[in-house]
Amino acid sequence: MPEKGEPDLSSIQTFLSPAYGERWRISAGVRTVSLYYGCMQAFILAGGFATRLWPLSERRAKPLLPLAGKPLLTYVLESVPKEIPVTVSTNAVFADDMKTWAKTIKDRNVTISIEDAGHEGEKLGALGAVSKWLTEEKIDDDLLLLAGDNYVGCSMEKFLEARGTNPLIAAHDIGDRELAKQFGTVIVENLPSHPHPLTPSPEGGRGTKVISFEEKPLHPKSTFVSTGWWWLPKDSLPVLKEHAKKHPDNVGGVFEEFLRRGMTVDAFIFKETWHDIGSFESYLHLHREIVDGKTLADSTSIITPNCALEGSNTIGPSVRIEKSTLRDCILFGNSVITDCVLERCIIDEHCTLTGVDLCDQMLRAGTILKRP
Amino acid sequence: MGCDEATLCLACEEIEEIEACYDSDVRRTLLLTAWLLTDIVLFVGAYVCAYFLRVGFILSSDFPLDRYVQAVLVISPIWVAVMIGMNIFRLTRVQASKRNILHILFSCVMGLSLFTLGYYFLFGQFFSRLLLLYAGALSFVLTTIWHLAFDQWQRRILRRDPPAYPVLIVGANREAERFIKLLNDKQSPLKPIGVLDSLGSQQKEIAGVPVLGKLNVLESVIKTKRPTHLVQCSNLEHTINLVSAARQNNMTYMMLPSVLGIAQKQSMDVIEGQAMITVG
Repeated sequence: MPEKGEPDLSSIQTFLSPAYGERWRISAGVRTVSLYYGCMQAFILAGGFATRLWPLSERRAKPLLPLAGKPLLTYVLESVPKEIPVTVSTNAVFADDMKTWAKTIKDRNVTISIEDAGHEGEKLGALGAVSKWLTEEKIDDDLLLLAGDNYVGCSMEKFLEARGTNPLIAAHDIGDRELAKQFGTVIVENLPSHPHPLTPSPEGGRGTKVISFEEKPLHPKSTFVSTGWWWLPKDSLPVLKEHAKKHPDNVGGVFEEFLRRGMTVDAFIFKETWHDIGSFESYLHLHREIVDGKTLADSTSIITPNCALEGSNTIGPSVRIEKSTLRDCILFGNSVITDCVLERCIIDEHCTLTGVDLCDQMLRAGTILKRP
Repeated sequence: MGCDEATLCLACEEIEEIEACYDSDVRRTLLLTAWLLTDIVLFVGAYVCAYFLRVGFILSSDFPLDRYVQAVLVISPIWVAVMIGMNIFRLTRVQASKRNILHILFSCVMGLSLFTLGYYFLFGQFFSRLLLLYAGALSFVLTTIWHLAFDQWQRRILRRDPPAYPVLIVGANREAERFIKLLNDKQSPLKPIGVLDSLGSQQKEIAGVPVLGKLNVLESVIKTKRPTHLVQCSNLEHTINLVSAARQNNMTYMMLPSVLGIAQKQSMDVIEGQAMITVG
């Protein structure tokens, strides 16, 4: 039991650092057929440079940002049924990191597709990367397209159950038209009150028919937004490839194109949590939701008893915290925090902070702040 | 291109970068050394001129020139040290500013006082007060003119490509534009070489300086362009990280007061040893 005046650290949970696997498995060219999912390939978009999350994204891809002990990308991967082969698209800058991450995945095949882009100006664009991969790998399967920086609380199986013969979008009601301006918005037929659509589209899926789709509209007509899950039947892929030639950076735009061509698009509406990790605020918000008021500390970290850990905190490996107060903080690892008050801060690796109070800050790796 | 060829190219680029960096350091060191030495020569010259103006163009046996010059030579390094202490040789000092000219005047008065005392201590004698007035006036006028001329010449040399002091600007707003124009119009030794903007400015260049991208390319820009100074003109939320990047890369970090929302005249103050920014 803690003595009087000392904080109770018994609630701190410990997790072990993810152990790296022994080899990186490549499944390029392997055609996997599942009885339930048929011929389907999953493609995770992780080729962005995440400039809004600078400096955290200075040395790592956004999908590799740690979230309660494991990379965000691992959550995305874990949501994909094991029968579906997965390819992760990345850029040349983060290719090595992505290969290292792939080695940690032991129970399935993950292929890394490297976009030859050294900086933002050279990027093919998300849709361009998909199109390039489809063409180069001669993919002729249904496509499960996923955003590597989105966290969806809903089960992927439920989403895939809703597929019929039309392209399918996972949509979520964010309840705020102002927020909706940042995303692709969908207007669906018979807005469902049930978590899953009540009016199936005629083609036999369980999705609701999409009436219109608008990518980042100035005046959203709906608060239902397209999330980072899309399913495309193989016969729709030629349209995707064609659209990618003119609009390589606009994934949502391909659905506008489907509708423009008179094709039916379905929406799968879910009520579970959804986060697009595009900013400091959204990253911290998701972290708070997942960690849920606890402190997760790596077993190699040392937290002295004269510390106060409030709210949701994640403390990575080899961190030493002394005489400090942390509230809703993420510490990536290998840092020393002494006599500090940190509130809603994300501290990258190898930082040394002594005698400073910080609020709402992201600190780049190697930052040294010592009060003289 | 073969692997060996590519490696060779990279090595060559690295050598060129190191050479450019070395050249920048050498340029400023040589210029500063030349400036200090010429100042000493000028100081001694001004005093010798004053001697001949007062004594006439003869070598007096009552007031020998060699003893006089000996005293001036002893004092001149101290006079230069006074000027160094007053930051007169500082890179960013504008030699034509009123403040700087007053500092030169003060150091010349100090030099005069030190010379008088030095001569008395060395030889136990006092001498003509008019000679002192001549020496003081000449040393001040000649030093001021020389500093104004040297400053202009030094600026041109330091700005010559590759610039000795490349400056990286963070922020692509109007404040940044004004600052870049100011540096270029005044031929400052600090030469802007690129702009980064966390919001991803659509502009290709600002006041003739290329926009290099968002802050995620900071590390690569520092590596390739080797700026010596980082000036923050916007993006307040990134201050800590920009200071951190500057410190890690041996750069001087500077910030425009407008980043903090300060448009009025401000100064640095110290209250009980604690540094403060004072407005008004």
